This record gives sequence, C-alpha cells and structure tokens, in this order.
Amino acid sequence: MNRWRRRQLQDYIAKILATLATFFGLFWLTWILWTTASKGLSALKWGLFTQMTPAPGSDGGLLNAFAGSLVMCGVAVLIGTPIGIGAGTYLSEYARDTRLGFTIRFVNDILLSAPSIVIGLFIYELMVRPMGHFSAWAGAVALSFIVLPVVVRTTDEMLQLVPTVMRESALALGVPQWKVVRQVLYRAALSGILTGVLLALARISGETAPVLFTALNNQYWTSNLNQPMANVPVVIFQYALSPFEFWHALAWAGAFVVVIFVLILSLTSRWLVARGQVSV
Amino acid sequence: MNDTSKVTAISAVNSAVRPPDTAAKITARNVNFYYGKTRALKDVGLVIQEKRVTALIGPSGCGKSTLLRVFNRMYAIYPKQRAEGEILLDGENVLDPRYSINRLRTKVGMVFQKPVPFPMSIYDNVAYALRHYENLSRTAMNDRVEESLKDAALWDEVKDTLNNSALSLSGGQQQRLCIARAIALKPEVLLLDEPTSALDPISTAKVEQLIDELKANYTVLIVTHNMQQAARVSEFTGFMFLGELIEFGITSDMFTHPDHKKTEDYITGRFG
Repeated sequence: MNRWRRRQLQDYIAKILATLATFFGLFWLTWILWTTASKGLSALKWGLFTQMTPAPGSDGGLLNAFAGSLVMCGVAVLIGTPIGIGAGTYLSEYARDTRLGFTIRFVNDILLSAPSIVIGLFIYELMVRPMGHFSAWAGAVALSFIVLPVVVRTTDEMLQLVPTVMRESALALGVPQWKVVRQVLYRAALSGILTGVLLALARISGETAPVLFTALNNQYWTSNLNQPMANVPVVIFQYALSPFEFWHALAWAGAFVVVIFVLILSLTSRWLVARGQVSV
Repeated sequence: MNDTSKVTAISAVNSAVRPPDTAAKITARNVNFYYGKTRALKDVGLVIQEKRVTALIGPSGCGKSTLLRVFNRMYAIYPKQRAEGEILLDGENVLDPRYSINRLRTKVGMVFQKPVPFPMSIYDNVAYALRHYENLSRTAMNDRVEESLKDAALWDEVKDTLNNSALSLSGGQQQRLCIARAIALKPEVLLLDEPTSALDPISTAKVEQLIDELKANYTVLIVTHNMQQAARVSEFTGFMFLGELIEFGITSDMFTHPDHKKTEDYITGRFG
C-alpha cells in the first residue's frame, strides 16, 4: 500500500470515528428530549397553568411553581445584570491589560464554572441561617450568583469585540470616556450583551441546587419574597421522587415547559446575534 | 525672536521657502515618543502652517502616525505610551497635562484610516459630539448637521436618508461621514490618518478633492502612504524615517529636488 492510499484510509477512519462520536452524543440528547416531550406533552393540560400544586390524591397544576420560578429568575436577572454589565465594562474598558483585570477575569471564570450546589450552600450560610428561614430572596440571590459571571464574561467579550478605532473616533471628538462607553460602545455591543443575559436566564431557569437550599419550596401561592417560594426545578425534583403517578405526570409536564422556555431563549439569543452581525 | 524662528534653527524646517503670507498654527519642538521603553519619535520639530495642507510621508513604522496621534494626545488612552517635548497650538503647549484633553480634541479633530461610523443614524453620527458640547435648539442642530455634511461633500447623497443607519453607507460615504462628524465641532486643525487607504479610487478622488476644499477653513495634517497623494493634496511635506523627521519643506520642492539622499531614495521608490 503506498503512502497516498494509507493517508486516504486514515482520513476515512477518522471521518467515521468523528461521525460515530457525534451520533453517540446526539442519540442520548434526542432520547432525553423525546422522553421529555412525549411524557410531558401527554401530561400537558390547561390546569397546569391555572391550578396550584396539589396534595397527594387531588387534582392540581403548577401555577405557584411557575410563578415562583419567574419571580426568582426575574429578581436574579435584575440583580445580576447591572452588576455584571458594570464589572464587564470595567474589565474591558478600564482594566483590559492590567494585572488586576487578568486576576478578576480568572476568578470570574472560576465562579462561572462553580458547581451550583456550592452557591446554594454559600447563600444558605449567608442568608438562610442568619434570617432563620428559607426565603425567595435567598433563592433569587443564589441564582443571581449564577447570572453574574455569565453577564460579566459576555459584556467583557462583546465590548472587546468593538473595534478600537470606534473608541478612538469617539474619544477624538473630545467626549469623555464614560459617555463614549454608554452612548457608543454599549450600542455597538448591545445584541451581544443581551444574548449573555438571555443565556444566563436560560441557565438559571433549570437550576435546582441553588434554590433547594435557599427558597426551598411552597405548596401554596405566595407573593411574599420573605417566605419560602415554590419553583419548578424543586417541584420536579420532589414530585419525581414521590410514589404518586399523578405527581410524576406533573413533573414531566413541568420539565417539558422548562425545556421549551430554554429553547425559546436560545433561539431568541441566536436571532439577536445574527441580527447584531448584520448591523455592526 | 518668535516661536517660528526658534524652531527653524533646531529643526529641518526650511524657512527660506516658506510662503510669507501664512502663520504658524502648530509648532512642535523636541518631540520624543515612547511605546513603553521603545523610542518611536526622536527629537521631532516642525511648524504646521495655518489653513494649509501638510503631508507626512515615510515607510511603514517610521513614526508618522505616531506623530499625528501626539497632536491630539490620542496616545493618552494607553497607559504605556508617553510623549515628551512641546507642541504649541496657538502658543499654548498642548502636551502640558494642565491643558484639558477634551478642549484640545474639540480644537484638533481626527479622521482615521478605517471609516467607523457609530452604530446610530447618519444624523446622530454628526450630531453626537455637538450634543455633548453645545446646547443647540432643534433647528440650530439641523443647520449644523446640514452644514457639516455639506462641508464634507456628503449632503446631496444623504439628505433624504438622514435617519437611516450610518452603517448602510458605502465605504467612501462612511469616510466622508467621519470627516463631517469631525468638522461638526468646528475644529481648527484636522488630522487625517491615511484617510483613503481603505477606499476605492473614485472615493479616494472625492476625499482628496474634499481635502483641497477643507483647507479654506481648516489646518490639515495628513499622513499618507501614497506619495502621489501627498504631491496632489499638500503644500508642505515632511519625510520621516525611523522616528526622525529627515526633511520638511514645500511639497513641490521636496518632490523635485530633495535635500537628503534618504528622501530621494524613498520618493523615487528605491525603498519603502
């Protein structure tokens, strides 16, 4: 066999292995989505969004859990986004090539990949124990700790992608730097930063560990953020472990809704990125 | 002894051929520049005449863009860059830290190699700095935007689409928009850093014609790679090499009989 034939064969084998690996990964992913969709769809009903979580044996939905998740995720995004954009701006515009900047970026990357259960326990010690009870505030703060590094990272990266000459052009007009950042650079990086916020929201909407140790759960409706609050991931967790068929069905339906929510967020962020590339 | 004559003694300025009817707008003396520890400009001194076009030519890395960026202290946004010496704008040293950097930049406008409109409408691009500096009424603002776009020879092409995104313009139009944006503040000096190197020949011709018109109101300093362009648009030319200003004088003289061997080698295309 000459060298050319051997290389062709190697190329062929590598291609097959790579394809197999892709399909191996896709197989499980499709299975998970298929199971969620089929079991979730069959349990999907209007009552899911109008009724509270039921006691064993009675009928019900997931209204309080959906509402609780929305409230806590919303508060988490409201806390994490401004701080994250501020910190990302600092890293990109004021500390780009400094030692301090590199250190903060490194620590932020650690926070980005920190196991969420660690964050849950941290907030448990920081808020739940001193307050003496679980609360939605604690849940929202725990989730905001997951939002924060994602927003810091994307803001930093998106601002760094803005061409230097745009910064220089604006500064050359004698406009102060803070105004240039706010009026020119944020505009140029807007779609990217929004994408980061949406991806952070997608990430926290399924997080269980941080809320399990902080917001816990609530079988009833509450709008008081000082009390334990129901949320979809913990409800799924509890119902999935229960012996009741009806609770299992509700858990599947909840999981399906979360998957759809995340899917919509991902599509929106992709659309934003595509739109951003056309206009910048 | 006035500023100009002092500089003449210490720099390559050839005072004998300077037309007597113009005044010195900028006088640079002993300008040194450092990127960290690397010295990029070596004792540069020159006089820029008011309402004339002065070109800086030289091979890549000779320091011509670096010198240009000293005039509006553009380098100051980078912590490791540093300039020494004196640059007198109407007699005031702009390198003095007490000279307000934002005041300097309203007097000395700059246009860059790559046209980069801000991600906003054509109108807002021109009005951007005006909104920061002047509290104009709506009609006064409209007038200023129109005036700037007319001065930049862009008005006729965009007057019906002022609210469109500036990113929808062609490259040549974007560069003229950048010029309009810079002259909206009515600066006294305009720094052009290779303003046509990213443009096609037709757009280049338009920008060159514009430069010729701009000198009625502005002192123009242009850095260019293109020697024909320097010959076409400028009245004075400085040739730089390895951070030094080798020769400075009237453009036609320099291109016909340069004083230095290096200049001759460069303009005849022997290197660079």
